[in-house]
Amino acid sequence: MEEEIFSSRTDLTQLNQSVTEIKNALAKVVVGQQEMITLLIAGILANGHVLIEGVPGVAKTLTAKLIAKCIDAGFSRIQFTPDLMPSDVLGTSVFNPKESSFEFKPGPIFGNVILVDEINRSPAKTQSALFEVMEERQITIDGNTYPMQEPFVILATQNPVDQEGTYRLPEAQLDRFLFKIEVKYPSLEEETAILQQHHQQKTAEQLEEIKPILTAAQIKTYRNQVRNLYVEPKLLEFVARIIHETRNSKSLYLGGSPRASLAIVQAAKAIAAINGRDFVTPDDLIYVTPAVLRHRIMLSPDKEMEGVTPDEVVQQIIQKLEIPR
Amino acid sequence: MYKLLLLFFFVHASFITQKPVVKKALPVLQTDSSSIQIRKFSATTLNEYRQQRDFKYEDHPGEAESMWDQFWRWFWYQVDNLMSGKVTGNLINFLFILLGASALVFLILKLLGMDMMQIFTGKNSTIEIPYHESLENIHEISFEEEIEKAIANRNFRLAVRLLYLNCLKKLSDAGAIQWKADKTNLAYLYEIQNPEQQQKFGLLTRQFEYVWYGDFKVNQEHFQQIRNSFQQFNPKLK
Repeated sequence: MEEEIFSSRTDLTQLNQSVTEIKNALAKVVVGQQEMITLLIAGILANGHVLIEGVPGVAKTLTAKLIAKCIDAGFSRIQFTPDLMPSDVLGTSVFNPKESSFEFKPGPIFGNVILVDEINRSPAKTQSALFEVMEERQITIDGNTYPMQEPFVILATQNPVDQEGTYRLPEAQLDRFLFKIEVKYPSLEEETAILQQHHQQKTAEQLEEIKPILTAAQIKTYRNQVRNLYVEPKLLEFVARIIHETRNSKSLYLGGSPRASLAIVQAAKAIAAINGRDFVTPDDLIYVTPAVLRHRIMLSPDKEMEGVTPDEVVQQIIQKLEIPR
Repeated sequence: MYKLLLLFFFVHASFITQKPVVKKALPVLQTDSSSIQIRKFSATTLNEYRQQRDFKYEDHPGEAESMWDQFWRWFWYQVDNLMSGKVTGNLINFLFILLGASALVFLILKLLGMDMMQIFTGKNSTIEIPYHESLENIHEISFEEEIEKAIANRNFRLAVRLLYLNCLKKLSDAGAIQWKADKTNLAYLYEIQNPEQQQKFGLLTRQFEYVWYGDFKVNQEHFQQIRNSFQQFNPKLK
């Protein structure tokens, strides 16, 4: 009966199939971390960049590498170090004596899936090199603009800021990340499964088994589908109210930007598509909101001293709002 | 030769540094021959001064001390004694410094608006956010009437919404869920303990979400099917 009434307006079958394949492929190597994997896929579908934060050894880089492996597109990796220069990332103009002219040598940023490992090990000077490329998908050097090829996704990993040798990323850069995924330690059962898998020496074989699942063209198609999903106007108001509350909350020194509102809606659309729906529900919005806001908002000094986390503030803001129904 | 020159130099230097001797005249005694006038104090003026209070220096016995004043005098005397001791004096000083520092910390924390209990207990304080009370309390809606109105207006989308809200009300009345404006449909679904009820409510939720959030168009025939599924579910809640 239900199928007769609600025949989907957008065919999401292919998208759902690809998502399931990616999840299955990753599950062979990465134990647990389902939320991280779902948000990573949602980030790619929503045309956003993803920041993965966690203590060393929780499979941040491995997961990002595997996701990149699932995509049949140009992959490049940049290891951020304290002495990395902007030109090491973007590229530089080199003088060609034969032709007596400068020739642009593209940097590793020219790719489709860029893994920026340990992003917060480089100072603000290097980080600012990513501002233009992250937002506008282009770089400007010596007066020339070089557009990036689609899809262009930055998957960055970082250790928590309180760890040795790390810098705090500039707010302007953090705002350009769609999600900040916090990777927690695995549970006892998951830890046991990791040990068993490693003991049986399956990891290396399974890594080799992972083949590309998504092509650049497919990603483009899926992104278009996600962009066109339906969002009830009252839900847009709900998102605006969440962001408005972050700007007026006494617990926050810095609230969400309009880019954050757009990010919540776009990310919720991706989650709805992953769940096979061509419309967004409040649950989709609430699911993505902490990951979208936790790196964009700044706690007030007193709340920071009290040990309150951005997630707790976001949770309390959502709990005080009425769900549109 | 050098010795001779050196001798000449010293002899000459001693002569030129000597001060000339001046013969002073003998002192002569000067006498004051001017006439002396003796001045006397005016007795009247003295008497006037004597009458003024400011010039009376002898101690007055004053009024008798009350019991309360005596107590405080005794109290401060004891405090003074206590603080003048070598060991106790240091201890009291330390206590006073501690009290002063605590008061200062208290004042700073109060000015910062921090919750002091939170610092000691480690529990997070609640954040003050104005609560947006629902304008539509499901316990105050006359559902049957409103649903009929919506059907009469052929507003089937609204009718499905009212059917769902009515279902939430019945679940709340039956104690299966706790109605709260901030809870999502998924939260209510997880709250239901009875697996059969949960599965059926899941289907109803899906129908509501497609119609309300998905803006799927519902005709009368489809609406009737949806209404039937709600009507089958609701009596089981009693």
